[in-house]
Amino acid sequence: MIGMSEELRLLEGMARDFALKELVEGREERDRYPFAPLFEEVLAKAHEVGFFSILSPEEAGGAAEPVQALCLVLEELCREDASLGGAVFTAALSRELLRQAGSEEDLKKACAGTASPREALPAGTASPREALPAFPSFHNPSDTPLSLRAVEEGGAYRLTGKAEYVVLGNVASRALLPAGSADGGWSLYLVDLRGEGVEIGEPVLSLGLHACPAVDLLLHGAPGELVGEEGKGEVYFEAAVDRLSVAAAAASCGVMKGSFETALDYARQRIQGGREIVNWSEVRMILSSMAVRTKAAEMLVRGAAAAVDAASPGWALASRAAALQVQEAATEVTCDGIQLLGGNGYMQDYGQEKRFRDAKQLQALLGMAPLRKLRYIRRVVDGERPWA
Amino acid sequence: MSRKGESSLLLREFPDFAETMQGLAAMERMPKGVVEECREAVALARRFNRTVARNYALELDRRMQEDPTYLPWELVEEANRWGFFTMWIPKLFGGKGWSLSSIAPFVEELASECLAITNLIGVHYFGFSILAATWNVRLIDMISREVAEGERTGKPCLVSGAVTEPEAGTDAEEVELLARARVRCQARRVEGGYVVNGRKIFISNGHLSTWHILIAYEDLERPDETMIAFAVKNGTPGFSFGRMEKKMGQKGCPASELVFEDCFIPDEYMLVAASRLGEMGLLSRAARKANRGPRELGMQLIDFVVSATRPGVGAMGAGVARGAFELALQFARETEVGGKPLVNHEWAQCLLAEMYVNAALARLSYMEANYANSMHGMARLLGFKPLYYYHRALPTSVFDRFMPAANRRDAVTTAFRLLVMAGQGEEQERVASGWASLAKVAGTDLGVRNCQLALELMGQAGLRHDRRAEKCLRDAKLLQIYEGTNQLNRLNIFKCLVAPAAPEARAFED
Repeated sequence: MIGMSEELRLLEGMARDFALKELVEGREERDRYPFAPLFEEVLAKAHEVGFFSILSPEEAGGAAEPVQALCLVLEELCREDASLGGAVFTAALSRELLRQAGSEEDLKKACAGTASPREALPAGTASPREALPAFPSFHNPSDTPLSLRAVEEGGAYRLTGKAEYVVLGNVASRALLPAGSADGGWSLYLVDLRGEGVEIGEPVLSLGLHACPAVDLLLHGAPGELVGEEGKGEVYFEAAVDRLSVAAAAASCGVMKGSFETALDYARQRIQGGREIVNWSEVRMILSSMAVRTKAAEMLVRGAAAAVDAASPGWALASRAAALQVQEAATEVTCDGIQLLGGNGYMQDYGQEKRFRDAKQLQALLGMAPLRKLRYIRRVVDGERPWA
Repeated sequence: MSRKGESSLLLREFPDFAETMQGLAAMERMPKGVVEECREAVALARRFNRTVARNYALELDRRMQEDPTYLPWELVEEANRWGFFTMWIPKLFGGKGWSLSSIAPFVEELASECLAITNLIGVHYFGFSILAATWNVRLIDMISREVAEGERTGKPCLVSGAVTEPEAGTDAEEVELLARARVRCQARRVEGGYVVNGRKIFISNGHLSTWHILIAYEDLERPDETMIAFAVKNGTPGFSFGRMEKKMGQKGCPASELVFEDCFIPDEYMLVAASRLGEMGLLSRAARKANRGPRELGMQLIDFVVSATRPGVGAMGAGVARGAFELALQFARETEVGGKPLVNHEWAQCLLAEMYVNAALARLSYMEANYANSMHGMARLLGFKPLYYYHRALPTSVFDRFMPAANRRDAVTTAFRLLVMAGQGEEQERVASGWASLAKVAGTDLGVRNCQLALELMGQAGLRHDRRAEKCLRDAKLLQIYEGTNQLNRLNIFKCLVAPAAPEARAFED
């Protein structure tokens, strides 16, 4: 890829190796969660190699890698199993929010015990629980009214209400939660999930990313630590969306690659009408449309990620456009990815049905797609230039 | 030339007017009672959805995710109590004899709530359709009466259809492909019957059914000319159930493997053999006249079945298109965005309108196919007004007194085959089959599309099992695959409806 540094290439290779070694075998069984054990071992290994702290500044124990690094890792992981991608993305998002809030102290606290990717810790010395601030990453808190409210009492905040679909809420020790404040806006609070007043629901049975669980939280006056300034949640969140939309796109792009590769393999082997179906011209047409859309997605993601890291003109809109475009394309490509395997594609054995579910789930990252579209065009209408 | 003569010539130009306007042609021929039956069938399905499916659908899906080997007998028994397994079996054979035209609207209605439950009920009629398509009246009568008996006694007797093999999915749907297929399920002639070896996969309701209508081949080198059908009952030595598939959706309806190992099937359970259909005197002459050899007769059997069942799958697509639309509408009404209900945002209104359009288009397609099949398909005789009213007016008990004895006679089978098989022109076969594929492709693509749109609109809420929409998408995807992938069906649409305008074109020969 043009412009990819040696360092990024190494990281990509590392993520690829990790995915092949840890994410292929047992994928179907892991995906049975919550009816099978959580893949804690994989989470621990991902934590060890530093996948949960890629964007964190070095002083907070991270590697201060560019967004491009996060994108490459997500793409490679999601090529094999997007569930881990969901966890990595959520960790990156909550850390990015802490960074946007300018709260280095909170960030250090939230990242306590994490290692840099270059110096893997021996197993057992740190837990991914500490490294993963949970966050409802499939929702933009500004989209719909929040049930969770924060009340100040003598300088301390207490949170009451329901926080829906908090990703990793039953895995992490802390959650970063958006809660409404009296002035009508919303703020971010760090909440100790093992502390008082927190009721953690059962894992929500969901469409995709089964091994990346989400739970509903019921808070009854749970203590929360304000992150950044009060009422500025939306500002921090939109800034994080600017940077990380492209990372969400990268996750979808990885799923597309996995789906295409599996479909091509199958088409080469499956025989109908007396010949390999890869030689049916209509099958080739479908394969081609998958390949073209996947290649376009890769180019979009890489271009937008480079733009974000270089802060080129229009970088934020590039990042957001990439997410909208690639996420939708992934839902179509993975649908064809099942179709090319016929009945086999619909069964769990080939991983294609999982990719279809995962791609649709990933489309909801960072909030409802139509509202993200409207936000995108609002910024353009208001004068932000999408290109020079 | 007279003006009238000229008009009719003009109308016969491509696209043939009558061919494109199935509903118009059917209207004048259709007994009025059919409308009333459709209304009653839909009302019944709504009642069932309200009292049974709505609460049970999610619970069953969740349960199957937890334990993929669970068999939902309680659902089979409930549907049996509601009388669903005999509704569309003709009274001639001991069923309730509802008009076949009413099954698709019924299916749409059920599917708007849960596709797994719909398939569990509907696929019994897929099995029955293969049985019926053979026009082996003796066995149709015997098996149908067992189904009816199972309803009376509360011991469900379902019929499954076993066509797909591990190496023949698409190939099993079209004789042109069958000629080159790697089918493995072989029926070898022995004294007094056949010995069957092979495996069938993805058989919906397999584990839940009592009778299995099995398609096998006498000569694996010439499967296109040697298709043979059997009725196999549970407990037949050499026949067993294999694994249950782990599907993405429609989980409540098991997909089973059926295993045949030196399974002896006596002659009396052989339904039809394509290679020997021509041996019957009158039929042979008629078949020659209609230019049908064993291969064409095999295709006619396939077309009889799929012309009846594919519109049903289209109706399932229409149903899930509606289900997804209804969930999206409900979400838009309940959700506040930017200080006002989502349903009051112009863009959301346009999106909901598009979803409504998709469901309506799916419905129009399957209704046209339904009309085509009722005029041209295997049950077209029952649509004749005098026969229709006679069949409808007489109570089942009257039929029960005379029919079983008559149905046992070979002459009756021959007579029906003569009327239905030899009596169906190639044009009729082509039109019914083409429209069925069209309805299947349109309905299922639109169904999946609406599920995608609903989830897009609902965001996080759409992902949750407890909000139902994600299940719609998982369930719907299978519709684009079974009863012939939508790719095979597109090729069939080309072959049946497009190729007449391009006589030089060859389908399935690329």
